[in-house]
Formats: sequence, structure tokens, C-alpha cells
Amino acid sequence: MAAQTGRTVSKWVKFQCDDSGGTVRDVPVSSIGGVGLEYDEADLTAFQDAIKGVLPGHPDITLEITGPWDNSAAQAASGSAAAPALSGSHTVLNGINGGNTPLTLGVYIGVRHNWETGEPAFGITSTAANGFLCTSYTVNPDDGTYTAKFRMYPGSAAPAWGTAAFT
Amino acid sequence: MATGQTVKKWTRVYVNGYDMSGYTRSIGELQWEFDEAELTTLSDGVKGYMANQGNVSVGALNGVMDDTAVSGLHTVAAGLPGTPATVMVAQGIRAEPANGDPMFTGYCEIKNYKAEEDGGAAVVTMEFDQFSTTGLINYARPWGFIAHAKGAETAANTAVGIDDNGAASALGGYMVYQVFAGDGTATLKIQDAATNTNPSFADLSGCTTGSIDCSSVKHGLVAIGVTATVRQYIRWQIVLGTATTVTFALGFVRGQ
Repeated sequence: MAAQTGRTVSKWVKFQCDDSGGTVRDVPVSSIGGVGLEYDEADLTAFQDAIKGVLPGHPDITLEITGPWDNSAAQAASGSAAAPALSGSHTVLNGINGGNTPLTLGVYIGVRHNWETGEPAFGITSTAANGFLCTSYTVNPDDGTYTAKFRMYPGSAAPAWGTAAFT
Repeated sequence: MATGQTVKKWTRVYVNGYDMSGYTRSIGELQWEFDEAELTTLSDGVKGYMANQGNVSVGALNGVMDDTAVSGLHTVAAGLPGTPATVMVAQGIRAEPANGDPMFTGYCEIKNYKAEEDGGAAVVTMEFDQFSTTGLINYARPWGFIAHAKGAETAANTAVGIDDNGAASALGGYMVYQVFAGDGTATLKIQDAATNTNPSFADLSGCTTGSIDCSSVKHGLVAIGVTATVRQYIRWQIVLGTATTVTFALGFVRGQ
């Protein structure tokens, strides 16, 4: 199928990030928060201004995911137009939390079908100096879920919206 | 070892050599977070952070008030606040925890123990704090695997081991043990091997309890050097001294 436009629902959203070996994996998620940049605002208003004025500073991002806890074996990540090939959330996150190696991360929003090139995607392809870090992985055995948090590696380029896969 | 999703009825909680699973209603959240040190500079395109020190806690144990002699939750836990405890949360995968299943562990201070009422039920909540400074180890990772699921052993292990990593590593690790019952002295150990056959296994240097008297509960963490080589396959081992049977659980966390 060709890339589609228009509205969609969450069942077509997928989340991918590197595992500890630098291989991109599909991770099962039930919520994703903070998909996008938020800029510091410097309020530069003077008494004499009729209206408050601001300028944007550094952008920041705190990307938090939750989902079902799962220790299934790692799978090769899905590509364009393919259904997610889920690796176990524990299998992936247990290996990357607290690490200081930049990670590839992508949030893919399929438009009424499995995401494919040309549809919205947010993230970054990692290099030695660019990418996300995982800084928190908390498990709740009471409901069989996890929560994980991602921040940017120092000096990294900013993640961005695009329409191509992050590899 | 099984894989996949699971539910809480297959979670088991061991505290200081006591199996609290039969008294526990919930445990967690199992916290593993890192302080985020912001290292953003003027010319950076986006704010950047690095993981600093880790924060590990077992969260809170909520259970039924039970003063059964010796092993009841109230009997075991009422006097624990203000002291550290060795905790293992063994996560069975749609079944009782088995060798190779995931395990979360810590040597955490206990903040409180409070009796409460919940819909008519007499319950208690015990909150765990972070690692005790009296037992800090050079590892921030609390997730490992069960090398020996809770059970009794009467002889040395000649079985093959577990491949938890797919390869050897050179980042050390640590073991956690909970001895629930026994009738004398024994030594619990972790062994590793490059090939998964009985004769290939050898003691992982330093990863041993030494001889302990298992006729009373025992528990603890034993860490090896952070650059120690740990071969691909891991298994439990026991050397019986005066004991003829020991009931224990053993976990291992590979360094990262």
C-alpha cells in the first residue's frame, strides 16, 4: 500500500529503540508521552511593553513509555508497512537502562494501517554522539506493566518529525 | 525458563530468608531509575543528560496481618523498620518461578511497617527505601535471573546451566541468596562455563556464601569484581557440610 494521510488510531502506533547491542527492536507499549520538543521560554518582557514577549531557548524532551512487561526473546524489528515484531519489553529495557551509549529511537504513527515510509515518525537515528538514553525502568508486578523514560544524550542533535524510518 | 507476559499470581517475594508470598497482596513498584545530570551547553541543539547514580527500591509490600509464629509477615517484619533487608522478587512467567526466570533484588532499608484497615481486612504495608549504605555494591542493576528457584537440595548440581546473556561478559556481577531451611552447614555458589555441559562448569571466583549454618535463615548479596569475566552459562552449586538438605533460592545479576 501507499502511504496514507488523514486521521488514525493508536493501534497503528509503534515504538522502536535500540537494544544494548545497538539493534533496533519493536517494544510493546500501551502509552507514549512526550513525543515532541518543548522549548524553554525566556520571558524578555519590559515594563514598557504592551504585551509579554518571549524567546525560545533550548528544546527539551522527556519521552516516557508504559506497556506490558514481557521477557520474550528479541525479534528483528519491523520495517516499513510491516506489522510490529515485538521483542520483550524487559529483554530490551533491562539492557539499556542506565547506559551511556546513544540509542536510536522512533515513534511511528501509521495512518489507518501499519506505518510505512511517508507517514509521520518522530525520533532520531543514533550515532556515537547523537541519540536517546534510557534513564528509568520501573516494573509494577501488581498489574504486569513497566514504565521507562528516555532523555537526550548530551550534545546530541534534536530528534525530529519526519516520514522515514530511524535505523 | 519461560518467556512472555505474566500476572502477579506468579510473583514470589523473599525477605531475609522468609518466603512472604503467602502473606503478600502486592509488591512494588520495582524502581530502577538513574539521576539525570544535565550537561547541556550553549551550542547544543537540544538539552542533554547522562545517567548518574542509580536508584533501586522494591517499593512497598502490602500484605495481610498475620502473626503466625516464626514465619508470619507480622512476626518477621514488625521489627524490621530502620534496618536493611535482602529482598528477592522472583517473577514466574505464567507458572511458579523457575530457573532462568527474571528476578529483581536489592538490599534495601525498610522505612516503615504500618497496620491498616482495607475494606474490613486487617492488612499491613511495609515500604522499602533504597539500598542500604551498609551493603552497597558496585552494581546499579537490580534485574537478574533465578539460578535456583526456591526448593530443597540434597546433593551437588550436575545439571546444565542457563544462558542469560548469549555470550560471556567481563563486567562482573553479583549473586543473592535466601536460605529458608536446612539442617546444618553448606556452601552455596555460582558456577560458570563456556560450554553448557556438566564437566565444563567451575566456580565463579568469589561468588560463594562460604560455609553457612543453614539451620537458621540466611540471606545476602555477594558481589565479585566489576571487571571479572563471567562465562556464558551459569548454574547454582551446593557443597554440603553437615547439612543433608537445604531449601534455598539463588539469583545472579550479570554486570552491565
